[in-house]
Amino acid sequence: MKFRIYRYNPDADTEPSMQEFDVDAPRGTMLRDALLMIKEQDETFAFRHSCGEGVCGSDGVNVNGQNRLACITPVADLKEPVEVRPFPGRPVIRDLVVDMTQFYQQYRAIKPWLIRNDPLPEQETLQSPAERDQLDGLYECILCGCCSTSCPSFWWNPDKFHGPQALLTAWRFLADSRDQATDERLDALEGPYKLFRCHTIMNCVEACPKGLNPTKAIGHIKNLMLKHSV
Amino acid sequence: MSRRASGLRAWAIQRVTAIYLAIFFTILLVKFMIWPPADQLDWRLWVADPVVGIGFMVFIVALLFHAWVGVRDALMDYVKPIAVRATLLSLVALTLLACGLWAAQILILARLA
Repeated sequence: MKFRIYRYNPDADTEPSMQEFDVDAPRGTMLRDALLMIKEQDETFAFRHSCGEGVCGSDGVNVNGQNRLACITPVADLKEPVEVRPFPGRPVIRDLVVDMTQFYQQYRAIKPWLIRNDPLPEQETLQSPAERDQLDGLYECILCGCCSTSCPSFWWNPDKFHGPQALLTAWRFLADSRDQATDERLDALEGPYKLFRCHTIMNCVEACPKGLNPTKAIGHIKNLMLKHSV
Repeated sequence: MSRRASGLRAWAIQRVTAIYLAIFFTILLVKFMIWPPADQLDWRLWVADPVVGIGFMVFIVALLFHAWVGVRDALMDYVKPIAVRATLLSLVALTLLACGLWAAQILILARLA
């Protein structure tokens, strides 16, 4: 199979380039396997990967224009030559390795943990099955960054707009019956940038390898905010 | 518009005005397809009707607010230098205000005629 891989070493190259590779990809080969074969051909090639089964979220890349997790993308489904680039909009550290600092800063900013004002109970805080169901489609996020780095609003304002990943997680805690910081969380999301840069472009929904829907979660936050202010 | 209000309020304004614009556009479309005005006098008489006149007034205000939020969003996304953004926002605001006053003048003159 033919691959065109983005290559860039900011210390040595004046500008990025695309390098072609031929890989023998037997049936069932995932893109991560193909990238490892490419690395065998050229050891200077750099990309992130770890678990190899779509759990750690390390090997997010842009494949033929779409953000995906390399380890769960069968190469047989891809059109040749397969163009593999780093996540769009992120500073390139080397080849497919990008700087995700702003992505993590946005995640941290929404306080991704349960906030309780009541004294902690002696045992666990109970939830009804219906309350627990509210978290389905939210808690599964693995922070791979496929969604936020496919979002044009995040490209333009990565320092101010939280991005789909952080906002999906914000809704995950707003929707959690055990969380007691609804007002504080909503207040923190006010203003024109953090939440309201989302223009429902929905690239995030298309990109999410876990099939989650950040746009829907963002809509829930906006509606809850409206409910709390009228 | 305060810093605090410029998120939720702008979003709510955009949604509410969008609903009004969609309904009013549909009414206009049906009116012009089924009962198109025969001549200019017919047009003026129709617009001079208080219900139609108020409908148009609200339409113009809704359209201006909707346009303002949309253009403001686009400028906030794409224009980073604050001085350039402030200048463009001012120009857009003045243009929209001028359009609104012009439309109001047309509607008022139609009623007076």
